[in-house]
Amino acid sequence: MRLKVNGKEVEAKEGALLLEVAPVPTLCHHPHTETRGVCRLCLVEVNGRLAPACATEVREGMEVRTDTEGLKALRRTLLEWLALTTDLSLAPGLLGLMAAYGAEPGRWKEAPSRRGRPPIRDNPFFLRDYAKCVNCRRCVDACGDGIMGVYALTLAGRGLQAHPTTPLDRPLPETPCVFCGNCVQVCPTGALRPLALEVG
Amino acid sequence: MEQPSLLPLLDERLPLTEEKVAEAARLAGVPLAQAWGVVAYYPRYRGLPQGRLLVDDPVARARGFSRLREEAEGTYPPLGLEALSPVYLRFTEKGRFLEWEGRWVPFREFRLPFALGRGHGLLPPEPAPTLAQYLALGGLGGLRAWKGGLLDPGKVLKAVEEAGLLGRGGAAFPTHVKMRAVAQGQAPKYLVVNADESEPGNFKDRFLLEHHPFLVLEGALLAALAVGASRVYLYVREEFEAAILGLERAIRELEEAGFLFVPTEVFRSGGLYICGEETALLESMEGKRAEPRLKPPFPVERGLWGRPTLVQNVETLANLPLLLREGPEAWRRKEPKLFSISGDVARPGLYELPLGTPLGEALRRAGGEPEALQAVLLGGAAGVFTRDWDLPLAYGGRLPLGAGAIVAFGKDVDLWEVLEGLAHFFQEESCGKCFPCPLGTAVQVGMVRRRERDPSLLQDLAATLRGSLCGLGQSAFWAYRSLLEVEGAA
Repeated sequence: MRLKVNGKEVEAKEGALLLEVAPVPTLCHHPHTETRGVCRLCLVEVNGRLAPACATEVREGMEVRTDTEGLKALRRTLLEWLALTTDLSLAPGLLGLMAAYGAEPGRWKEAPSRRGRPPIRDNPFFLRDYAKCVNCRRCVDACGDGIMGVYALTLAGRGLQAHPTTPLDRPLPETPCVFCGNCVQVCPTGALRPLALEVG
Repeated sequence: MEQPSLLPLLDERLPLTEEKVAEAARLAGVPLAQAWGVVAYYPRYRGLPQGRLLVDDPVARARGFSRLREEAEGTYPPLGLEALSPVYLRFTEKGRFLEWEGRWVPFREFRLPFALGRGHGLLPPEPAPTLAQYLALGGLGGLRAWKGGLLDPGKVLKAVEEAGLLGRGGAAFPTHVKMRAVAQGQAPKYLVVNADESEPGNFKDRFLLEHHPFLVLEGALLAALAVGASRVYLYVREEFEAAILGLERAIRELEEAGFLFVPTEVFRSGGLYICGEETALLESMEGKRAEPRLKPPFPVERGLWGRPTLVQNVETLANLPLLLREGPEAWRRKEPKLFSISGDVARPGLYELPLGTPLGEALRRAGGEPEALQAVLLGGAAGVFTRDWDLPLAYGGRLPLGAGAIVAFGKDVDLWEVLEGLAHFFQEESCGKCFPCPLGTAVQVGMVRRRERDPSLLQDLAATLRGSLCGLGQSAFWAYRSLLEVEGAA
């Protein structure tokens, strides 16, 4: 089928996601964990309405815009807010996007921070460093319905306080965790990382 | 519930221990991880605040909030008490009470004073808590007509379409479109009555549930019959304990009288603003964190337990018996709408007015003098400040009506203080699922506190919040933007 992306006609297969034909940044979307529609970085305008490219299928005759002033402002601002609240030092992809979008977090002056969260080292395999967590849910989805079906991870809290945790907040060895490493593999910000890579 | 649902299982086990959470998870057939996520989400499972609490609504914010706050140990979100505000609550080991007329009234006994309701049609001339009283007011005509074969799904759907009834919960979506979509879906199908009224400034659904339960039930049953729903769930804000008890009594009475044509039950809400968002509401009924779903699919296709589900607001359904009795044309001529009017007016209350009534006239009906006012907050937290007194209160106009809240503010009110309350409310109530909303509502609190008027920052805040997953984040900046407009116009 045919649709227009930023004024140019493109061809796409039925059932394809807009993500496959439209140039947009992504963060939460992961094909294996089935996480989608959460971070909103891939929002596009479809016939004038906002839609996440990671969760919207192509349709004949769609008119898609990926680069309106509003969308650029949204991505730039979201990146700024993430940088204000979260330690992105191990998220090179996001730091690259910030440079590309000219992000200046300082212009917002203040925001509550997640940087104060202490790292959790409760097992021999990997570290949970939630000061670096943007709450994209990939790890929770990987552990649950997306890949493993083990359900050793869930979410606690609401709003900016929401973050991954274990059932009953127990140390990982006391949960159904099988230390498969899928959550570590899908973490986009280095909040979950193998202890093998830690120095000292 | 047809399937075991986690929230009622947890409620039965309060106060919770780890063992009780595990037991509820087993009985609900869900992983402990899901149950723990739920316990760590809803306030009542983490232990409610105790002591004297000030209800932090826009009226309290306008009445010298910091002084009122000094008299309390904490605050509580708006509770549909704006016409009586400021109000203090008492949460103790013995239960939840409201300080009213020098007494501590338990939640299960407190109803909005009946005298606050002014109108006839949707509002009854006298309270109608029993079937006999409802019958005396001429009620049950719709269900009787159904029983007598005078009504069928086609007739109900046609009447709703011809009337052009729009959803009264705030989104103003055409009711017949949703009803037809569910009617065409495969059974089993459900009707969920959204009675989780939590938009600050609104108390219309609360009033209807407390004083006119049979009207709500009759409307719900007619809708359920029209779309072929096999069950009706009333998702009621859990703090409305008196309303819940009244509804449960009314359901029993209807059943005994042989008019409960569809099995009907009450579901106690999760107790958060976001639970009123229809997909978050369904998630909470399914025993999950009340987080909005990605749409599509819409609930009319995949709703409760994945089945076609009609989710409708209380007031929308309450219009059905009226609309069927009077006929769509007559109903449409004076299309009734409930307006919750509070703040700086002489007679705050619930006013039934025809859609299209100018804002100034609505205020005068409540004993308000528009010229003496600085502005009103129209709609609620997800609303706008305005001083356009000629504005017709109708859907599809220049400003959104929301669910019909009008909070009036006199000339000496610090509207920034009111806005700070709204900003705080959004930050507290953001579920945290998508990125723009929890980040943006937190940033917004700081901006409002420092009285930020930089247009480029506000523009980017708006552009980003607009990208939120659901209406909560998408509307969180409306009041802020509109206050700057009102200031500019002053």
